[in-house]
Amino acid sequence: MTETGSGSPPLSAQARRGPAAARVDRGRRAQPSGWWGMVLFVCAEVTLFGTMIGSYFYLDFGARRWPPAPIKAPEVTAPVIVTATLVAFTPVLVLAVRAARNGRRWRTVQWLLLALLVQSGFLAAQIVLFRHDFNQFKPQSSAYGSIYFTLLATHDAHVLLGILLDVAVLWKLATRGLSNYWLIGVRGLVLYWYVVNVLAVVVVLVVLSPSL
Amino acid sequence: MATVVSPRGQRYVDELDQIWIERRGLWGWLTTTNHKRIGIMYFFTALAFFGAGGVEALLIRTQLIGPNGTVLSPQAYDEVFTMHGITMIFLFVIPMTTGAFGNYLIPLMIGARDMAFPRLNALSYWIFLGSGLFMYASLVQGHAPNAGWFDYVPLASKQFDPGNNIDYYGYGLIFNGISSTIASINFIVTIFKLRAPGMSINRMPLFCFAFLAVAFALLFALPSLSVAALFLELDRQLGFHFYDAAFGGAPLLWQNLFWIFGHPEVYIIILPAFGIATAIIPTFVHRKMVLFPLVALAEILVAFLGFGVWVHHMFTVGFSTLTTVYFAAASMIITIPSAIQLFAWIATILTGTPQFKTPLLFIVGFIVYFIMGGLSGITVAAIPFDQQVHDSYYVVAHFHMVIFGAAVYPILGGMYFWFPKLTGRMYNERVGKISFWLTFVGTFVTFFPMHIVGILGMPRRNYTYSPGLGWTFLNFVESIGAYILAVGLVLIVANLFFSYFRGADAGNDPFGGDTLEWSTSSPPPAYNFAVIPTVTSPYPMWDRADRERDSGRLDAGEGLLNRGHLTPATTVQDADADEILSMPPHSGWPPLTAFMLTGVFVMLVLHHYWIALGFAAAAGLTLIGWHQRETSP
Amino acid sequence: MLAVGLAGCGKQSILTTRSKPAHDIALLWWWMLAAAVVVFFGALALLIVAWVKRDTPGLPFVGEREDLTQGMVLLFGIAVPLVALVALFGVSDVYLVGQTAPPNPRTTSMTVDVIGHQWWWEVRYDGGRAVTANEIHIPVNTRVNLVATSADVIHSFWVPALNRKIDMIPGLRNRILLDATSTGEYRGQCSQFCGFQHAHMGLEVFVQTPAAFRAWLANQSRPAPPPPSAQAQAGERVFMNSQCASCHTIAGTPARGDVGPNLTHLATRTTLAAAEIPNRPAWLAAWIRNPQKIKPGDRMPDLGMNATQVSELVAYLDELK
Repeated sequence: MTETGSGSPPLSAQARRGPAAARVDRGRRAQPSGWWGMVLFVCAEVTLFGTMIGSYFYLDFGARRWPPAPIKAPEVTAPVIVTATLVAFTPVLVLAVRAARNGRRWRTVQWLLLALLVQSGFLAAQIVLFRHDFNQFKPQSSAYGSIYFTLLATHDAHVLLGILLDVAVLWKLATRGLSNYWLIGVRGLVLYWYVVNVLAVVVVLVVLSPSL
Repeated sequence: MATVVSPRGQRYVDELDQIWIERRGLWGWLTTTNHKRIGIMYFFTALAFFGAGGVEALLIRTQLIGPNGTVLSPQAYDEVFTMHGITMIFLFVIPMTTGAFGNYLIPLMIGARDMAFPRLNALSYWIFLGSGLFMYASLVQGHAPNAGWFDYVPLASKQFDPGNNIDYYGYGLIFNGISSTIASINFIVTIFKLRAPGMSINRMPLFCFAFLAVAFALLFALPSLSVAALFLELDRQLGFHFYDAAFGGAPLLWQNLFWIFGHPEVYIIILPAFGIATAIIPTFVHRKMVLFPLVALAEILVAFLGFGVWVHHMFTVGFSTLTTVYFAAASMIITIPSAIQLFAWIATILTGTPQFKTPLLFIVGFIVYFIMGGLSGITVAAIPFDQQVHDSYYVVAHFHMVIFGAAVYPILGGMYFWFPKLTGRMYNERVGKISFWLTFVGTFVTFFPMHIVGILGMPRRNYTYSPGLGWTFLNFVESIGAYILAVGLVLIVANLFFSYFRGADAGNDPFGGDTLEWSTSSPPPAYNFAVIPTVTSPYPMWDRADRERDSGRLDAGEGLLNRGHLTPATTVQDADADEILSMPPHSGWPPLTAFMLTGVFVMLVLHHYWIALGFAAAAGLTLIGWHQRETSP
Repeated sequence: MLAVGLAGCGKQSILTTRSKPAHDIALLWWWMLAAAVVVFFGALALLIVAWVKRDTPGLPFVGEREDLTQGMVLLFGIAVPLVALVALFGVSDVYLVGQTAPPNPRTTSMTVDVIGHQWWWEVRYDGGRAVTANEIHIPVNTRVNLVATSADVIHSFWVPALNRKIDMIPGLRNRILLDATSTGEYRGQCSQFCGFQHAHMGLEVFVQTPAAFRAWLANQSRPAPPPPSAQAQAGERVFMNSQCASCHTIAGTPARGDVGPNLTHLATRTTLAAAEIPNRPAWLAAWIRNPQKIKPGDRMPDLGMNATQVSELVAYLDELK
């Protein structure tokens, strides 16, 4: 039973299994609180990245040479390929959230696992690229190095947080099931990753801007 | 709610009391997720910090009572005035308004039984407490931040401030910012989703509009401060060069980032005051607010425009004339929504039948000082004049008129106003009036002469001054004013303290208030309302028929939601009933998470980076325990 | 009375003006004050009426007319401020702002570089041909291009009688115009918080007749005169062989330090320690003996000199004319 009685609104916490949770989800006229919470959280995060990107260009426009000698302009190919791969798998997220909203627990787990694989690969590639750059110049060598590595490291930390959230949600889906609570969890998680994907494109465009 | 409850209704009330029973004692407070208890903890913590900030202010004024003062060394003075600023802004006004007033009152005003995320709400309190103690630990050790609350680089860089004073500032503000970010998300979702059925957006009390605007402003302003502080710590700890001109960095980057946060912050401080004023005025004036929709719009507009004016703090840094003129124009435009609200309050008081009880007196005091601070604010939007008086005592006078006279007065009035609701007792009206006049006179005597001293060329942040510059007498007057002010403030606290034990019984609605918190008992039960109210206007308590219908429903056993810790969720715009949420009754995880996070920042400032990482991992692990109980988000 | 009081006292008042920009800013202030007084007392009058008529609802005379009440809010809340703000914006932020803007260097007849230090001012003429500290000499009725920057933290150059303030920021070269209309001595002070001795970072501007200024500058451009007496010569040896020379420069001697003020013509200055104490032998001795007592936290350390060394040093420095 997910209804408290005819006419009165549903008591959503009683939906402990996929089909019931999907029924609650379909019956809602407004987005749930958890979804709004995630929307606002990513608003704060996007603002944070916006501030860093603004700082990047503030320093850029104030500099005579950007990047300063002897640092070479960043190489374009590898970061673009890595980012494009992450973004190309965005439909997997769409499929995951669709499966969850249809109440299909294991289908959701499958898609999320695939997403987790891609995202972990992305993070690994990012770390390789980061180390490669770190061998060329250091954040201590100039303001360019400082903002370059800080922006990338923040982005990578953002990805890492998403991966940890993936693991937590997958674990709960596997052990607890697709309750109303974790259905909203999946929706929040996917929303988070949409934003990471958009930010991945923006961040890569910013750090590559001297070469574009 | 009717004062007489039928036996059948009483049975339902008893049932709800059982369902919502709270843990007792210290453990109960530690693990509470009840918005009222969290609000009360916020209140006392913020009040304690207000006391600390007040003592710092008195130290400053005592040092400056005469020329060549020797009460404080220059080193101590710098720490004291820096901590005064940090304390009043981050540890008093914001937690007092959003934390205490917002937490306690918003669910009551919108007819909800708790905040949207009760455990996050507890977490934001515990983080606030942790960050406050973290920053004050520096003062105890004698290494408090000493580069001003604005903390300009390069003065705040490792080169010129090699101790760890500034690190307490940098890490402390990042830490504190987490609390405010969580809290603002919680407020927005609560206001969007948990309003009682029928309370569509246009029927929401103006108080909630103001707090909604504040929450949005905080959400979008804080990241800028956090990024600025992160850059600062990277520069200081790891030798990065964000702010170092010698390595391509920019000292002005700090100023831009700081004021992109810092100016919205001014409105974050004052908007709750506007909200409290619009809650108090109709009650004592016995009429509805003049131009309600326009005032609501003006509140939102002020918060929005506040993001476009930050450069007016930087008119003397040498930006191009065009840049400064743009920001001066934007700053002047803010006058309009402020003036609309101002004259809406005055018109409401003028055309109503005001009863000048203590809370309304504080609002009138607020209006007087808001006009004064607003007018001096317009004068500093005139660029050449600002360039002359910038960083002089004229500016100190201006922003204390606004931040103390205008932002804190409604807090004081609000303390009197809602005291009967929180305690069930009345405050002493006569002592209340005396405390108002002392505070009012004290404020004027302290801050008004600062305008003149500024015009006479006295710069800010000087630990002392020489005789013979025409500043001596006025500084003496200001210091005397500060002592009068302190007496007034202590009298307010004393009045409330003694009234808690001896005050007359207040009843549910001693003032004839217009919003829902007055419909429930004083103090309200854990579940706020036995029957979820249905709202048909912005003044639900003045809709007698609606409230009588509520008590009828209690007798009939309708709208009780008595099958657990339940509260209804409604649609965002029209507040149609949508689903029923199950709320967590209590949880020990939030304080534990906050404790681990405190550990992270303590270890960072002590340079034990691996231990800090361990604490961060532990904080992450606490979240697993947190999610064992499934509520409905 | 307030006006007289304000204009009459205060060596650093923004209302005692000796240049056109400062004068215009002061005039703007008086106009803004007048308007603010009208607005303030007008609003106060409304509140007083509200108190007097607290038992009768509605507006005075017309009674409960919601349309008029709302009209009042729109009039005072939108229409009146809009007109007043447009006027203020035009006067201050369109017209007057040009007066306080950095001068076009082609319209000025000389340039003075002022560099902020913790906690004193370095003043350079002709690109460093003459270097002094804590006092600026300029000729009257002459457009002077003042270039402000900093050697360490942010300071702010502010001489209220002559012009607005301008921040001194490391890596930036901000400029303002000094164009004094009468000779005299005008006090200024650092107005951006710059650390422990921010309170004691004053300076004096001497506006002189062109002839007097030329004579002063010619003297400042020369190396230091040789010490005339035996005691002064002993003082020079003390100076060159102690820490003094590693921080201070005296042109014409081996002392080439750039941490503290240039002392080449110290004896011509009127004050010591950034306008903190008068430049007299007794004060100079007190300063050398124990600078940390006069300016706690200052960069100049207590040197631990004995009485003879101090009096020899004072004799030497006092002859640096």
